[in-house]
Amino acid sequence: MELDLFIRYGPALLSGFGVTILCWLVGSIGGLVLGFLLACLYRFGPKALGWLIYIYVEIIRGTPFMIQLFILYYGGPYVGLVLSPMQAGILSFIIYGSPYFSEIFRSGFNAIPKGQIEAARCVGLSERRILMRIILPQMLVPTTAPLTNFFIILTKETAILSVVTVPELLYETQTMAAETFTFVEPFLVLSLFYWVLVIGTSWVGERVEARVTRHLRRV
Amino acid sequence: MGDNLTDQPIIQVRNMSKYFDEFEALRDVTLDVHRSEVLCLIGPSGSGKSTLLRCLNFLEAYDGGEVLLEGELIGWKSAGASPRKALSGEALRRQRQHIGMVFQQFNLWPHLTALENVAEALIHVKGLGKKQAHEKARAALAKVNLSDKEKNYPANLSGGQQQRVAIARAIAMEPSVMLFDEPTSALDPELVGEVLSVMKEMANEGMTMVVVTHEMGFAAHVADRVAFLDSGRLVTCVPPAEIFGQVPEDPRVRAFLQTYRERNVV
Repeated sequence: MELDLFIRYGPALLSGFGVTILCWLVGSIGGLVLGFLLACLYRFGPKALGWLIYIYVEIIRGTPFMIQLFILYYGGPYVGLVLSPMQAGILSFIIYGSPYFSEIFRSGFNAIPKGQIEAARCVGLSERRILMRIILPQMLVPTTAPLTNFFIILTKETAILSVVTVPELLYETQTMAAETFTFVEPFLVLSLFYWVLVIGTSWVGERVEARVTRHLRRV
Repeated sequence: MGDNLTDQPIIQVRNMSKYFDEFEALRDVTLDVHRSEVLCLIGPSGSGKSTLLRCLNFLEAYDGGEVLLEGELIGWKSAGASPRKALSGEALRRQRQHIGMVFQQFNLWPHLTALENVAEALIHVKGLGKKQAHEKARAALAKVNLSDKEKNYPANLSGGQQQRVAIARAIAMEPSVMLFDEPTSALDPELVGEVLSVMKEMANEGMTMVVVTHEMGFAAHVADRVAFLDSGRLVTCVPPAEIFGQVPEDPRVRAFLQTYRERNVV
């Protein structure tokens, strides 16, 4: 293992890691927000809108992320949507993640016993209050684990952004490998970076889960 | 019916019917509940008792006829028009504040403590300040003998305690009528007593109560009248002595009570 290689390429790899984290965080949090809105519209909106959302979910879930990214980045300009690689990467990441998040939230809505909502109606709570005070806080319980899981999956999906030259971790690693003809070391380092990200995410997820299920613990 | 408002039954059910798709759950039910009266609804399962109860606060939208609370039509904008238009959410919420409800499955909100469960609607519906709401909620919990459990989450309360919190949550809103939907059916036998005794106390204090129950002892000793339903029809509505004290005339009532007699419940 040639250490000076890493001294030379260290900054580039770190910068790639930074870009990976940025794309991942902005993209997946954006997807989470969009997915939540979709789930809310699906549940509370008009029926026709529900159908549109259903079709959107099926299309996005039914196609590979890389194809969606290509269509947005290379096809965008034909409809006047010229995006930088980074913009296209993050935007497609948001779109790609949203239906999965939406499905997680949809099942979360369904997990709240109907009786609790009836009880809330019986004491006169408004539908908005019921959503904010009864449904949402409790949705955190069944959704935290699948959300954490999907965040973890998404950490690694960021690698696909390298195909449109987003200078993220895989892109920088491939550059290093191509320029130095070393392959094992750069990709070992790359794996280490992803592993750190995954471990960190699952640690946060566990903390959140412990917090949101506190009331269920028997003492 | 007298013109004097206090003589008017607090709940009037007039020729009410309810369908679930093709299934006729209730047919032509007519029934009055008077102020401070305890009315028990009994009957075989599937006879429509719970549906009748849930129509009283419009958790189920009844199809035909009327339900009036203190003379006001519940749930629908007007009795006549067909198809009928439901009241706005706001108007329905205002009506429901006068009708407390207790469920078989308690339906407490598990992420809130006992105190928070009771105070929730006081704050967000009645608009009380937190301090005032908590004071009121504590008083309600004291009524159901749970002052020492206010900080407990439902997961750390027994079934009987949870049901009493649910009762406190309802009475804290100071409703004019309380509806109970099989309040003890989900409880272990040794926990039934504590809930029934709280209900008995409420009855003694003059609360108007409509209780769907399988506790024939409660119906026999606490109810002012007992209504028997069968296949969505109101068969009879009489003082308990006429059902439990002698052999009932109606064969359906007789057959129903026979199963309880065999178990020496009545």
